[in-house]
Amino acid sequence: MESLLFTVYALATCGAALGVVLSQNVARMAFWLVVSLGCVAGLFFMLNADFVGATQLLIYVGGTVVLLIFGVMLTASGPFNTIKSEPAEMIQAGVIGIALLAILIPTVTSVDWVGNRDTLSHAGVKSPSGEFNQQGEGGTSRHIGAALLGVRVDQADASAPSEAAEAHEHHDADHDHGHEHAHGEEAHSHAGHDHAHAEVSETNQASGYLLPFEIISVHLLVVLIGASYLARAKRRVEQPTS
Amino acid sequence: MESVGLSGYLIVGAVLFVCGVICMATKRNGIGILMGVELVLNGANLNFVAFSQHTHLGLDGQIASLFVIVLAAAEAAVALAIALNFYNNHLTIDVDRAADLKG
Amino acid sequence: MSPDIYIETGTTLKWLLTTAWLLPLAGFLIEVFGGYWSGRKSRAAAYLAVGCIATGFVCSLIALLTWIDAANLNVSDIWQNPGAVAAASHEVSEATHADHEHDAHHAGAEHDGDHEHVAPSHSEAEHHGHAVHGNNPLKFAFNGTFYTLAKFGSIQVTLDYYIDGLTVLMFTMVTFIATCIHLFAIGYMSDELTESYEDHQVHLPGGKHFHRPGRFYRFFSFLSLFCFAMLGLVLAGNIFQVFIFWELVGVCSYLLIGFYVERKSASTAANKAFIMNRVGDFGFLIGLMILWTWFGTFQFANTNPDQTGQQGLFQMVRTDTGEIETEGEGLNRVAYMQSLSGQRLMGNDGQARRIPYWLLVVAGLGIFAGCVGKSAQFPLQTWLPDAMEGPTPVSALVHSATMVAAGVYLAGRFFPMFTPEVLLVIAYVGAITAFIGATIALVVTDIKQVLAYSTISQLGYMMLAIGVGGWLAGLFHLITHAFFKSLMFLCSGSVIHGCHHEQEMTKMGGLYKKMPITCWTMWIGVVAISGLAIPITLPYLGAIAFSGFHSKDAIIASSLSFSTLNPTHSLLFFIPLITAGITAFYMHRMWFMTFFGKPKDHHVHEHAHESPWVMCGPLLALSFFAAFCAVGGESGPLAKLLLTSEPTHVAGGLQAAGNIGLNLPSHHDIHECHGQAGVMALLAALMGAVIAYLFYCKQAVDPALVKARFESAHRFLKSKWQFDEIYDAMFTRPVHVVAKWCTGFDREALDRFLHSCASLAVGIAQWDRKFDEAVVDRIVNVLGEVTFAAGRTLKGVQTGRLRQYVMFIAAAVVCLFVVLFLFLPR
Repeated sequence: MESLLFTVYALATCGAALGVVLSQNVARMAFWLVVSLGCVAGLFFMLNADFVGATQLLIYVGGTVVLLIFGVMLTASGPFNTIKSEPAEMIQAGVIGIALLAILIPTVTSVDWVGNRDTLSHAGVKSPSGEFNQQGEGGTSRHIGAALLGVRVDQADASAPSEAAEAHEHHDADHDHGHEHAHGEEAHSHAGHDHAHAEVSETNQASGYLLPFEIISVHLLVVLIGASYLARAKRRVEQPTS
Repeated sequence: MESVGLSGYLIVGAVLFVCGVICMATKRNGIGILMGVELVLNGANLNFVAFSQHTHLGLDGQIASLFVIVLAAAEAAVALAIALNFYNNHLTIDVDRAADLKG
Repeated sequence: MSPDIYIETGTTLKWLLTTAWLLPLAGFLIEVFGGYWSGRKSRAAAYLAVGCIATGFVCSLIALLTWIDAANLNVSDIWQNPGAVAAASHEVSEATHADHEHDAHHAGAEHDGDHEHVAPSHSEAEHHGHAVHGNNPLKFAFNGTFYTLAKFGSIQVTLDYYIDGLTVLMFTMVTFIATCIHLFAIGYMSDELTESYEDHQVHLPGGKHFHRPGRFYRFFSFLSLFCFAMLGLVLAGNIFQVFIFWELVGVCSYLLIGFYVERKSASTAANKAFIMNRVGDFGFLIGLMILWTWFGTFQFANTNPDQTGQQGLFQMVRTDTGEIETEGEGLNRVAYMQSLSGQRLMGNDGQARRIPYWLLVVAGLGIFAGCVGKSAQFPLQTWLPDAMEGPTPVSALVHSATMVAAGVYLAGRFFPMFTPEVLLVIAYVGAITAFIGATIALVVTDIKQVLAYSTISQLGYMMLAIGVGGWLAGLFHLITHAFFKSLMFLCSGSVIHGCHHEQEMTKMGGLYKKMPITCWTMWIGVVAISGLAIPITLPYLGAIAFSGFHSKDAIIASSLSFSTLNPTHSLLFFIPLITAGITAFYMHRMWFMTFFGKPKDHHVHEHAHESPWVMCGPLLALSFFAAFCAVGGESGPLAKLLLTSEPTHVAGGLQAAGNIGLNLPSHHDIHECHGQAGVMALLAALMGAVIAYLFYCKQAVDPALVKARFESAHRFLKSKWQFDEIYDAMFTRPVHVVAKWCTGFDREALDRFLHSCASLAVGIAQWDRKFDEAVVDRIVNVLGEVTFAAGRTLKGVQTGRLRQYVMFIAAAVVCLFVVLFLFLPR
């Protein structure tokens, strides 16, 4: 089921993106873009990122693309609706694109992601994996909202029940207590591993996003003002009639 | 979940990214270039979310992707304003006409 | 005199004389820099110069009065009994100092300032019964240091001052005469107050005269500088400083003699004066080197009352009694140096320091050589008559009273350093000079030339007097001569000015009605220089005579007593006696030819006029002093002032001194000859005057007949004893020949060598040029072209098309990754 859904979404996404590239009409491009972005939202859902997926749908598909289509409508007067690219350019771009893909895809596939994650866990980096399953937590929205307000609920939670959770983790059997103590002494800055350092860890790791949030808010405001300034109709200087 | 794995998402992200780049490189229409940018950003976003799920990144990845979305919206707004300005000045949206940087 | 008063007096004198010395320098600086914008017609420079020198005179006069007051000279007590001259000088110091010796001894020791009084140290020490004897050949002087120029270990070169009676008197004399001459020059040089001065003696091709802007301010700035130099020379406290100002005086005389630089004769005369002086200065330098090497100091004397500090030259050479302590005979003879305390000076090695006696003689001769050059003595006398090319005030200032006086002054100042051998040389040189000058003056017809030769002759007199041990007589004559000679020069200037720059006496005559003031002031000078007197002796005043009689009388008396003591040198008495007669003759000849008889040139006579008051005033002032400055003769105030600075050993005379066993007369000896010598000198002078009267006024004898009779002698004298010809043959022509050889060598050898070097260098340079063009330039050009071409090619990349840029970025990323994969394998 998972892989089937993924295959569908992935193919749709890639196909729609190709559609964007290949279509010459601006309106069609916009359409394909909507399809592509919508499928990406689907992929987000598949990755348990329900809030991001929803945002993707709302802001991108519902906002940004609409904005683009407005742009298309405001500018596309007849002849400019379709501006053909030269075939040579297309070939050139295609070659470069394929080359880029040929670099990226082997790179992606050649990395042993699971092995990496295990190595990192062994090295003491805390894995938050599977912590937010919507069954228990009710999706990620609450966590993200809290994080944006400066509180990392997920990581605080993850540290508090660490002793209980440790039994469930498939690799904690490898640890003996003495070893863990020594290890914890060494790397006590990694929260949640040692109950003795829980509080310290909380303050160290619970890095929220309040400040970036604020900055991005101001940034948006500035951008909107700037956009409205740029886009406003030019005031024609009245020629004095003589 | 394990059946799909991280690689699949990353490949999709890579395809999106490459499509966006090609879009930017080939479209003469300014709006088209903007769309290419959106595609590139989406590819990046997809990577963020995928990593957030499959590695230690956790919620941070999702939040980063949120910021990217917001910035993309802002960028789209400004870019559109610029495009409109360009259109007002040149009565076209063909970016090849904007060749002031020619050496 | 108490030490407090000593210190006070010393400070006062120092500042007064320093002011008088530096004022002309300030004047010079202002004039020479301010002259450019004050305009050619402004008299401001003259007024400034007169102001400076007149202020200097006032300062000097105050200094003189201070000095007289401080020295507590009672005009009547010394020389009342002229036989006791030798004792008198001792009495002066003792009488003035005996009552304060105790104070002097202690307070003087406490005082370490730069002005020290000179205690009469020996008498002081005697009273205290100390074994320590002050080695002080000078009775009364102040010295100190203005500024230390350089230090070389224990020896140093300094700017010192040395003030004694001679210094003060010279200051007063120089500043007074200079003031008169400055005033006179305002009138005399007024022709220069113009934008376009026509010099009638410079003939341009085409029969025109040379025109130039007037140089009024320049003249006065030079005069000021000259006064500064002369005063500095007199004030100087060491022989090196004297040398510095000596040279400065030489430079100033060069500038002033060559004032009409466009006239060839003037520029040649300036060169001649300068070069002749250089010859003398060469000897001076040798003397300086000997002194520096052996004595390690240039200072005249250290008059520090507590006998600390370095001893001066005089103190090192002379003992308390003024003798040179020697040992051995002939060339092996050595002279021991003395310390301040009156004992032998010990060197660092514990041995007594001494100097070979012959070196001391050489040093003295060297210094005297400088005096010979500066004072125009035989054989360097030829520059002085030529130097009459300068404006007449210059002749008056430079060549009668001051510059040439510098030589005599130095001879007098440096007297303690002269051994008997040197003195004998000085005496003979002086005698020869006096005779040569007088004989040439007999035949010259240019009014200034007569005065010039008479100056030479009189300077010879002074040197003679110093040489025969008549220190007082020589410097006495220096002072009196300065007055009457500058008077006569100014009178001649007045005549020349009145006759529109006519200097030939043969064209004058009968001018006494036209210019009576000039005539009679000149008469005073003529009588003074001739040494005429009324042979009646008044109490307290001596003989009734003008100043010249007294001083010349003193000289003749000195030489007579000298020749009495040294019969082998009796020539030294007869020459000055004969010269005295000749002097009277030629001076009266000049006076009669100029002012009496029939006018020989009616054109000159008709246009002659008396000079303005600015010129006559100085004449009157000078004539007063020429007449009366020596009132009382050798017992008068002037002589007494001079006596205060007479070296100690002069008064007592010397017996069989030096290697040659010379006897120098004491004051007593001289006075014994006084009456005899005075009568002889007076008779000679009267004879000369009467003969001149008969020749040129009464026309009893026709001078032309005499001239024809003694044709060859006349020609010999007219050509100035052939000195110029002899020098021409001895020095100038050989130099020319050598120069010609050198020229030939230069042309044939050096030039050819240099030319070949040059052409070689040119050849190398040409090759080098080719290398440069072919290699260096090409490399640089190719580099530039490559860069340029690369830029032009790469310019095509900058298409300005944004999409292409994106493509480039993508392609670059691909390339980067490929490179990474290829070169960084895992």
